[in-house]
Amino acid sequence: MSKFRRVGAVALVAGVLAAVVATSAFATSAKAKGCGTVSIGMLAPITGPAGSIGSDQLHWAQYFIDTWNKSGQKPTLKLVQGDTQLDPSKASTVAQQFASDKTIVGVIGPAGSDEVQAVAGILGNAGLAFTSGSATRVSLTAGPLKGFFFRDVPNDGVQGPTDANYMTKTLGVQSGDGVMIVDDQESYSTGLADIVQAALKAKGVNVDRESVSQKANDFSSLIAKVTSSTKVVFLPFQIASEAQLFAQQLKAQGKSAVVFGSDGTFDSSKFNAPGAYVSFFAPDVTTIAADAKIVAGFHKVYPGATSPFGAPNYVLAQMYATAIQQVCQKTGTATRKAVRLQLAKTSLSSTILGTPMKFDANGDVAGAAFHIFKIQPDGSYKTVA
Amino acid sequence: MNWNLFLTELVAGITHGSVYALIALGYSMVYGILKLLNFAHGDVYMVGSFVGFGIISLFGGSENLSVNSWVLLLVMLLCAMLAGGLLGVMIERFAYRRLRTAPRIAPLITALGVAFFLENSAQLLLGAQYQSYNSYGWHGGSLWAEGFTLPSGVHVGMPQIIAVVGAVVLMLGLTGFVQRTQLGKAMRATSFDREAAAMMGIDVDKVIVATFFIGSALAGAAGVFNGLVYQQVWPYMGFQAGLYAFIAAVVGGIGNLPGAVIGGLVIGLAQSFSIGYISSTFSDAIVFAILIAVMILRPSGVLGRAAVQKV
Amino acid sequence: MTESESPDLPARPDEAQVPRIGVDEWVATHAGRTQLGRLQQRLSGVPSLGFYFLFGAIAAFVPVMTGNAYVVRVGFDTLLYMLLALGLNITVGYAGLLDLGYIAFYGFGAYTYAMLASPQFGIHWSTLAVIPVAVVATAILGFLVALPSRRLVGDYLAIVTLFFGQLFVTVYQNGESMSFLGFTRQVNATGGPNGIPNIDPFHAFGAKVTTVRGYFYVALIVFMLALFAVYLVDRSRTGRAWKSLREDPLAAELMGMPVNRLKLVAFSFGAAIAGLAGTMFAALNTAVFAADFDVPTLIIVYAMLILGGAGSLGGVIVGALIVNVSLEVLRTPDHATYVFYLLLLATLVAKLRPWRVLAVVLGGTIGFGYVVHAIVSSAAPTWVHGSASVGGWFGSWLEGWALHNDTPGTVGKFLFVLLVLAILGVMTLEGWWQKLAMIPTLYLAAVVWENVLVVEPSVTRLILVGVILIVLMNARPQGLLGTARVEIV
Repeated sequence: MSKFRRVGAVALVAGVLAAVVATSAFATSAKAKGCGTVSIGMLAPITGPAGSIGSDQLHWAQYFIDTWNKSGQKPTLKLVQGDTQLDPSKASTVAQQFASDKTIVGVIGPAGSDEVQAVAGILGNAGLAFTSGSATRVSLTAGPLKGFFFRDVPNDGVQGPTDANYMTKTLGVQSGDGVMIVDDQESYSTGLADIVQAALKAKGVNVDRESVSQKANDFSSLIAKVTSSTKVVFLPFQIASEAQLFAQQLKAQGKSAVVFGSDGTFDSSKFNAPGAYVSFFAPDVTTIAADAKIVAGFHKVYPGATSPFGAPNYVLAQMYATAIQQVCQKTGTATRKAVRLQLAKTSLSSTILGTPMKFDANGDVAGAAFHIFKIQPDGSYKTVA
Repeated sequence: MNWNLFLTELVAGITHGSVYALIALGYSMVYGILKLLNFAHGDVYMVGSFVGFGIISLFGGSENLSVNSWVLLLVMLLCAMLAGGLLGVMIERFAYRRLRTAPRIAPLITALGVAFFLENSAQLLLGAQYQSYNSYGWHGGSLWAEGFTLPSGVHVGMPQIIAVVGAVVLMLGLTGFVQRTQLGKAMRATSFDREAAAMMGIDVDKVIVATFFIGSALAGAAGVFNGLVYQQVWPYMGFQAGLYAFIAAVVGGIGNLPGAVIGGLVIGLAQSFSIGYISSTFSDAIVFAILIAVMILRPSGVLGRAAVQKV
Repeated sequence: MTESESPDLPARPDEAQVPRIGVDEWVATHAGRTQLGRLQQRLSGVPSLGFYFLFGAIAAFVPVMTGNAYVVRVGFDTLLYMLLALGLNITVGYAGLLDLGYIAFYGFGAYTYAMLASPQFGIHWSTLAVIPVAVVATAILGFLVALPSRRLVGDYLAIVTLFFGQLFVTVYQNGESMSFLGFTRQVNATGGPNGIPNIDPFHAFGAKVTTVRGYFYVALIVFMLALFAVYLVDRSRTGRAWKSLREDPLAAELMGMPVNRLKLVAFSFGAAIAGLAGTMFAALNTAVFAADFDVPTLIIVYAMLILGGAGSLGGVIVGALIVNVSLEVLRTPDHATYVFYLLLLATLVAKLRPWRVLAVVLGGTIGFGYVVHAIVSSAAPTWVHGSASVGGWFGSWLEGWALHNDTPGTVGKFLFVLLVLAILGVMTLEGWWQKLAMIPTLYLAAVVWENVLVVEPSVTRLILVGVILIVLMNARPQGLLGTARVEIV
């Protein structure tokens, strides 16, 4: 009898699941409404090994939307989250969900450049704009995605040469010196590493290209290969605390090479090894006085540290909110096309990134520049270029 | 010969291998008794590591600790081992016990369910961010400054020594326990033949609970050692570590305790030497290729004895 | 629930011929005594092919019933998973070989298709040529992997195949520039972490498959054909030989079975099906990345197979449906909320007998809720001012009953831990104490759901999937449609 009951429960559950699927299939094909509540989709690796990046991206965007709704701005916005686990095929399933959900007028994300490529066809065919706060591969904006894909972070083509230049001009890396570049075997990292490697090789620098899996947590084996002629170790990592560990192990092994982190490591709470350099496209969010209130509010809801990939998503949500509001005021109906076209024109005079925000014709940040920061003895970041 | 490179890789390999070995021990113990691949074991290690991190925060955070490093370490180890052990016992009680007579593959799936549950609960409760033990910052970095220096200037920091010595002590303690004590003998008997052991009056339930407690406590200790040397803690750290520990356990001869230790060391050393001498990009591939070769030459693991088939 | 495995009692003399491999006599008789066992027997009287055709027919109607491309896409993904589970069923379910490198065959098929039909090497073969090549190549790869693994038994086989899977991912993940012994060559074989994009869609005779719906039908046809093929093999001499190999390799060998050859064939056959699934994956997604073929995908496929019941073809369908559909349904917080409350209710209905006990527990929970709500609203008003997870009448009722706080903070996390402990506590109690303890636990579950879990739907989704796996496997260790077997130790 007990077995019968248990299996009965299983059958019931299966039946219920089937019923929910059936209803959801019909429910989500509802028609687009005017400007009552407008939804924005969010693609991010919320769980899984890249969860530290994705959950931060989600939380920043969510925080903006919540603030917007609380302050009584119209229209009311809703963020629909879709977890991609940084897996392109999962991203395209979620993209299909967003494409089929007629209440969604724009998408924030996905996070990775390969994911952007995977979802481009689906979102593009559905007429949705999609904007990434972390996909920086140069080719994304140059090609057929123009007008659909936007990003509010400068691409690798801006960062790579800036970093290479700084190394050769200011850090005194000369022809014949050594530079070690360590990528973490995913597309952001390898793309940026390739660009810097090419720029340095052109100057006659001996580049030692290494790579470690992002899942690794020990660099001492690699550091043994840092020689006395190695002037700089360039780390295009996505996880700031890995750069910190690298710097600490480097110091523990008595090596004198300078650590140079990319924008992925820009987080003064995690990566604060004195003497290291970091490049980033904006001032430090946590140090801008005008942002203090927003950052404090954010941490009240989402305690703990944040990653450099988070705040750009706050700005993306802000861009969408502004664009949607303008569309609604003009026409009274937020369609995907109208939002997309408006988004391309939207400009914010100031953002929490400390810079104005506007997209150029390709969908890249207009007037993007990279700054170089040097980490001070107390662990704070100081702009040096 | 570049002795600096060689010794650095050796130290790195032994340190990493000790952590793998500790996790692998628990894996191997559970396997020996239940023939169960406990895929949730890596997540017990994660929980242990987070408990250690919690203790650091409790004593004022890594930058301004209110206690001596050694006291802190002791408290961390005890708490992490206790938490790990209790978690292991709970997992056994609620996820595996009813499946003891089921086909062997069934508890594999509940183990995956437990892993999903623990990883994502950790993310829900503690956030997905990477946290750091930051042992380089304890009392101004005094812990890492201590230690000794090998010829050709390779410095071995105190945390690395602690991890290796701690692992060795725990392993010796475990071996002594299994060889000498009543409960240890019961464990060996149960692992040899569970039914016969039950008929001899051994309380198999108790033995299994004890096995889970000890094995999981070792994983908790490994979590603390890992944090001490490699700093980072995050909810998904257990997945990869569990995978490597599983590999270590099998390579050494699954169910065989000294084998688990050797397996852990083999993997640690293979990893660091292939990064140092061959290719960092393909270090994992090289490790796996070596291991495939080892397994094909010695199909029951390095120390495993060819099992006598019971018919 | 294949015919050949169904326990049928009492055995008539003419039926004694049916091989009942692995079915323990006592288990079989026992299963026949329960109501469900009798139902199962009656159902197993229907030829299983009938069920498969019914499934195919229903599935074929899904895209017709809905214009929602997302539903069709999920359907396609589910069919792909079914196909994967079907292949795994041969190696694991029939032959009993624990193959943890299975997912690499899937990846190999996908990459083979990608390399032969994309601008990567400028090769654009016709689909009708690429698919056979990819499938045969994967089968050969499966054969090669199995070749040195023949002598390995049990978990040693598992580990070598796991190494192989990891080897595959590492090589494909880094295959854009080979650096070996300090010697770097820029050969872009696999695109590295950027994968191979712009893959050609399925095309033959001048026609192209471009819509999700098209791929759904392609996948359905391919799956039904593969299912039929496996069904035939299952009933063949080879199929029976596999099962005896699974039950007792030693005995099988003594009976003169070519054990090594059987293993190799099982591996290649499973691999070939995975390779076939890979080509469809590559064609629909038009891009392949090594990350898609790592352990997490393997875990999902294993969960589907074992949950459905290893060795059962119907189980493959049911397992993939349950796992993938619940993963997708739980994505949307609204749906997840209904699933959560219905699951609670279903568990109670199934577990609590007689009805008056159920009534007491339900009524008690509702009453308890109102009392707590009233006390808290005067003591800590922030805990009643939040909003419910869903709208409608149910949402407004929830707001008046369960506690809601928009910023639960640390208290919420504490409640979550408390809930886990409470559930474990309820499971250890017995009798009336258990029923009494259920009342606050159920209320706590609702509060935790409303305040903590629903806020992070993506994380909650995976927590729930974990719980579902644990609960279902504990309820039916042999899998939903598997046959109860006794493991021979």
